[in-house]
Amino acid sequence: MSPATEVPERVCRWLAKDALQSLFDALIDRGYAVIGPTIDQDAIVYDRITSVDDLPRGWTDTQGPGTYRLAPREDDALFGYVVGPHSWKRFLFPPLAAVATADRTDEGWRMASPTDDAPKYAFLGVRACELAAIRVQDRTFLEGPYVDPIYAARRRQAFIVAVNCTQAAPTCFCTSMGTGPRCSGGFDLALTELSTGFVVEIGSDAGSDIVAGLETEEVDSQILTEAETARQGAIDQITRRLDTEGIRDLLLGNLDHPRWNDVAARCLSCTNCTMVCPTCFCSSVKDVADLTGDHVERQRQWDSCFNFDFSYMNGGVVRNDIRSRYRQWLTHKLASWIDQFGTSGCVGCGRCITWCPVGIDLTEEVAAIREAGP
Amino acid sequence: MTSPVALPPVVANPWLADAVVIREMVAEGPGVTTFRLAFVDEERRDSFRFRPGQFGMLYLPGVGEVPIGISGHCQQERTWSFTVRAAGNTTRALSSLHVGDTLGLRGPFGSAWPLELCDGADLVIVAGGLGLPPLRPVIYDVIANRERYGRVTLIYGSRTVDALVYASEYDDWSRRGIDVQTTVDRADLDWKGNVGVVPLLIERLHPFVHDRAILFTCGPEVMIRFAVRSALARGMRIEQIWASMERNMQCAIGLCGHCQFGPEFICKDGPVFRYDRVEPWLKVEAL
Amino acid sequence: MIEKQAVTELLRELRFTADLPGEALDEIARIASVVEFPAGTPLFQEGAENRALYIIEHGRVGLDMHVPGRGRIRVLSVGSGDVLAWSALLGEGVMTVSATALEPTRAVTLPAKEVLELCARNHEIGYGLMRHLAVALAQRLVATRLQLLDLFSEPTGTDGFRS
Repeated sequence: MSPATEVPERVCRWLAKDALQSLFDALIDRGYAVIGPTIDQDAIVYDRITSVDDLPRGWTDTQGPGTYRLAPREDDALFGYVVGPHSWKRFLFPPLAAVATADRTDEGWRMASPTDDAPKYAFLGVRACELAAIRVQDRTFLEGPYVDPIYAARRRQAFIVAVNCTQAAPTCFCTSMGTGPRCSGGFDLALTELSTGFVVEIGSDAGSDIVAGLETEEVDSQILTEAETARQGAIDQITRRLDTEGIRDLLLGNLDHPRWNDVAARCLSCTNCTMVCPTCFCSSVKDVADLTGDHVERQRQWDSCFNFDFSYMNGGVVRNDIRSRYRQWLTHKLASWIDQFGTSGCVGCGRCITWCPVGIDLTEEVAAIREAGP
Repeated sequence: MTSPVALPPVVANPWLADAVVIREMVAEGPGVTTFRLAFVDEERRDSFRFRPGQFGMLYLPGVGEVPIGISGHCQQERTWSFTVRAAGNTTRALSSLHVGDTLGLRGPFGSAWPLELCDGADLVIVAGGLGLPPLRPVIYDVIANRERYGRVTLIYGSRTVDALVYASEYDDWSRRGIDVQTTVDRADLDWKGNVGVVPLLIERLHPFVHDRAILFTCGPEVMIRFAVRSALARGMRIEQIWASMERNMQCAIGLCGHCQFGPEFICKDGPVFRYDRVEPWLKVEAL
Repeated sequence: MIEKQAVTELLRELRFTADLPGEALDEIARIASVVEFPAGTPLFQEGAENRALYIIEHGRVGLDMHVPGRGRIRVLSVGSGDVLAWSALLGEGVMTVSATALEPTRAVTLPAKEVLELCARNHEIGYGLMRHLAVALAQRLVATRLQLLDLFSEPTGTDGFRS
């Protein structure tokens, strides 16, 4: 598969590196909570940031199956890494959220929607694979027969500053999934970092609006070429591949393949992959009452198909072994998702490979099933 | 803002239940109760309509929510029936409620039995255990529109005689032109009815014009598989058979992921499926 | 007394014999009789010898087995189109169940000895009959397994916060 499809011509401006703070300030001025990459617990995570100083300047990540370490760079790049354990789903689809309330009144139970002060987020540093992941979750939460109001409220207001990758981790395979590394759309602004500043690509009216208030210069063709070269670096560094040819029938036609037993012997069913995956959307709902029992909140929290009782029904668990649960996750992500939503559920970000404690690599699992034949 | 798909200015909350009050509770048998519920809000009462085969989520605040098939008459206008077996925490708590208590109801959800395909057809309704409630609205439609259907047979099995739900209605159904055949897994010698599993009654169906028949089935998955096997052995085609499937349904709106059966979300693609759609997945163990 | 022509017609209607060739039906009709059992009539007792095969035309027959300490237990009922007393044909003729008509029942009965002689004489008819018997017993075996699975039993899992 080739990198993301044709990128339309867009207006670009040049923002000097020491002027990046003004982008923060402009967003904060307009009431956005800026969310971006920052270092916490020896990883680059996404959190509320207010200043350029919060960014992981001069840091990079070294990733592989089951391993993630930060390492210092030789330069002071602000976005010189790829993706960490967080994805933007934790802001659009919060891990814990109230979906409804119930109050006991004299006339009995009365249910209501919770007051949802949906935060106004500006996401700074969204990679191409993540733009694709947001689009995938849009299909789940906004385009089905029922719309999730929590996701809708956050998504509607979100301002997206994308960042074009200029390097790739060994775990990346966005090119196989047609999702990157180039940001082709779905952003308000897209940055490509060069040593002295950023090429800022304007992707929407809102983006144009913000840029109008910043000190920017015109870009010349030399800068644009440099940016293109930098982005090519990401493409060149991608080594991992997932062959998606006929993958839907390959997986759904091989539900009894011996490879499932093989991976089941290694998989711990720990749910890490589903937690870090930017498209996984499974959740469960439970009631939480206050001490009087008269006020109840119905809370939705992230769940995982790897949890033992995820498929509990009528006194028993349908997927009662790791084999069937791993099979469910992989076939859903790469095959059933296509039936359900018209696209793959995988964007090739590689997080599941990095954050699997035993380093299971889904590209390898698919290749093994393909090789051994139907 | 990079606006995604065009959203309406206000998004309705599909997680929000309506308040309903219990008007009646009928003991159907050991551990099984039928609730007749009325909406507290008049507007909601007037706007609620369901199609046979759909289900609702009954919500007991502080305890939980359960999917229950809507089992009354589709033309009902004031109250809606739900037959519940006390099996877990929420259903047990529901069963200990009283007339006048309130709870929550979300719905109706899911796909419906395709009654529109039954014009002039023979209809074979095959139910097991608590699989009869989601099929009762079909029986009521047959009774209300008898001339629309050909021969109509109900084959219903349960574990024991007192577990046969809606037993007090069978005579009335028979009088209205439905061949009601029941069977139980075990019985004492007083019982003069059938003893044995549901598929045996399908094998015995006579007269049976296989290409004039449509079959609707709901019950334990194994029963469904073998009932269909018997129906196919008698010459029916898979496109004439519809089944109501079950999986762990939590949100009922296709967002929580629990109810997936292969690529199908039981809550929104089902629960009623034409059998060929679910047949490939039924063969897979622990899917 | 039912005429042989009528018996042949009956055999043509019964699931068990319906698709046998005309010659086979005539041969079988020659040795068949039609019997009526009012409700409550026993057909045969468990442990007793019975040398006749029955094919139920209409009605219902309860099959019971006796367990010391538990009494008589109904294990199955058979009805229209079902074959009964297969051990008359396949075994030593000692019945493994007691059979009682639960409602007015009509059956075609075939003496086992003559059926076996017919099968030995005419292997085509024999094959047809035995094949049908095998299919009927296979269906009954599957049905028995399903009964064993106790599919309608109460869920027994620990519930915690489950519905």
